[in-house]
Amino acid sequence: MNSMPMSAQAQRSVQQLSAEAQRSVEQFLLAEAELMDNHQYDDWLALWDEDLIYWVPCNSDDQDPKNSVSLIYDRRGQLEDRLARLKGKFAFAQQPRSRLLRVVSNFVVREANADTIVVTSAFALGEIRAGHETHYFGRTRHVLNSDPSGLKIKEKKVMLLANDSPLNSVTFLL
Amino acid sequence: MNNNVSSPIVSAPIASASSDWSVEAIAATVKDGMARGEIYTSQAIFDLEMERIFHRAWVYVGHETEVPEPGDYRLRTIGTNPVIMVRDADKSVRVLMNRCRHRGTTVCENPAGHTDYFRCWFHGWTYDTTGKLVHVQGPEAYDSKFRQDEMGLTPAARVGSYRGFVFASLSPEGPSLLDHLGGAARMIDVAVDASPVGQLLVNYGVHRNKYRGNWKMVGMDGYHPEVLHASVWEILGRRSHKTFRDTYPDDDSVATRDFGNGHVMLDSHKQRLRGLQTRLDDFRKIAGGDKYIADMREAYGERADILLAFGGDPHVGIFPNLQVIGNHIRVIVPIAPDLTEVHMYPTRLVGVSDEFNEHRLRLHEFFYGPAGTISPDDNEMFERVQVGLMAQADPWIDLTRGMGQEVRDEDGSVVGRISHELTQRSQLEAWKSLMVQA
Repeated sequence: MNSMPMSAQAQRSVQQLSAEAQRSVEQFLLAEAELMDNHQYDDWLALWDEDLIYWVPCNSDDQDPKNSVSLIYDRRGQLEDRLARLKGKFAFAQQPRSRLLRVVSNFVVREANADTIVVTSAFALGEIRAGHETHYFGRTRHVLNSDPSGLKIKEKKVMLLANDSPLNSVTFLL
Repeated sequence: MNNNVSSPIVSAPIASASSDWSVEAIAATVKDGMARGEIYTSQAIFDLEMERIFHRAWVYVGHETEVPEPGDYRLRTIGTNPVIMVRDADKSVRVLMNRCRHRGTTVCENPAGHTDYFRCWFHGWTYDTTGKLVHVQGPEAYDSKFRQDEMGLTPAARVGSYRGFVFASLSPEGPSLLDHLGGAARMIDVAVDASPVGQLLVNYGVHRNKYRGNWKMVGMDGYHPEVLHASVWEILGRRSHKTFRDTYPDDDSVATRDFGNGHVMLDSHKQRLRGLQTRLDDFRKIAGGDKYIADMREAYGERADILLAFGGDPHVGIFPNLQVIGNHIRVIVPIAPDLTEVHMYPTRLVGVSDEFNEHRLRLHEFFYGPAGTISPDDNEMFERVQVGLMAQADPWIDLTRGMGQEVRDEDGSVVGRISHELTQRSQLEAWKSLMVQA
């Protein structure tokens, strides 16, 4: 877990990838964003590695998840439960579903080696539901496994700008 | 859904001013297990609630362990009042108005921190952690009528603590904290004594939820879980094959319980005692679980079984703004008639393995908070109610379920079946008794 907090050093570091490799990472994250916007839960889950951490810290960006509450701290079992719930008939906070649009940008590859790429990005997300428009902003840190079959998300940490503010329900994918 | 975004929620006060609500008119809003929708939608009623409930009664402020060292503080609210809960040099916990005695500026901005003094950066007036005014910029311009020693930060009229839970009242008069808590104090004990050394730590941070609905909707409701939380029973069923009825059978093993003063609980201890062996087996799967059970038996003897069955979760509401549910302390923060925040502080049990506490924390996150599996659906219904209540052709809501079937228990509390609306009726009776005191 010590790899998860974005240390000041990691934040500054920039790793050069080939233009083609950089483009494929960016395309992967943009495709992920579209699946999230469209509530395509199964296709989104297919982007993940078997052993995964999906983490949305609460109260600040840098936390020890063992010693501080998170908005989401899912391993595969919890994430599958979360998605099963959202796919079912009784997740009323998503009836009707949120209309979502996110703009994802500011891609920076922080680390890259033969099988792992760490990339940070930023997003601006608009949600419209039940006549209310809500805005979310955040930074995301993906740890991607790169193997011949393509990229898989090993860890994803979403740092909401509002993670220390009162929040309406967040029952869609971040 | 279209792109013409507009709020369907409009607060339309029935009366234009609080003074239009006579004591008799308020008394008539709650009767015979029915309540009028205006008590959830009216700005005038909300203003009176602040005056007569939140600014008079005992209100939960925070936990002593949130401010362990002298100079530690947390910003909180009592009704509409911004306050500072601070540990002073004498190690006592004070509750001070976050308002400079000069022009009214806040003297503390960070929601949590550590300080030696509170300074107003408008004109420089400075207070120590007891609230004493220790510095006035340019004092020579004030004459002898200015009494610096009487110009400290205004304290809450009364501050009381029960097993680490800090309450304050802005009224110098009224029942003592212990009289106010009554039988519900034992349920705080149930939460605290889930620790083998009888101590909680509140230092995991906080989930802050908000919903577009009235603060009273948080309530305490044993009727809704089967329907509203069907999605959770489905996913739990995927693993355990347990149904809703396994957890909440329609018999006397689960109950609503009314302690008076609006303090109520959903009491499932009998049902949990029946399933104690399974619960202990689950505990033993966690590192430190065996030791925890042994330490609990050592510390509490015969009482250990019931404490282990409760598992620190009394599912109790202390009127008006505190609940202890699951593994967290829940604080209801009214913002406006149709806007409420709910702050959830997961607790750590002292004297228990890190793994055990982490397990409790992960369970809390999965169920509660803005991205949990339970809180968002609760909040969704509160918002739907707030919209629905604006249909005022027939303004009454019905809380009569199980009315007349209550029985008095040996300890003086009153019990009903789990799905009975005893809890809501008790809360609204307490609400009414405070609201009719002009």
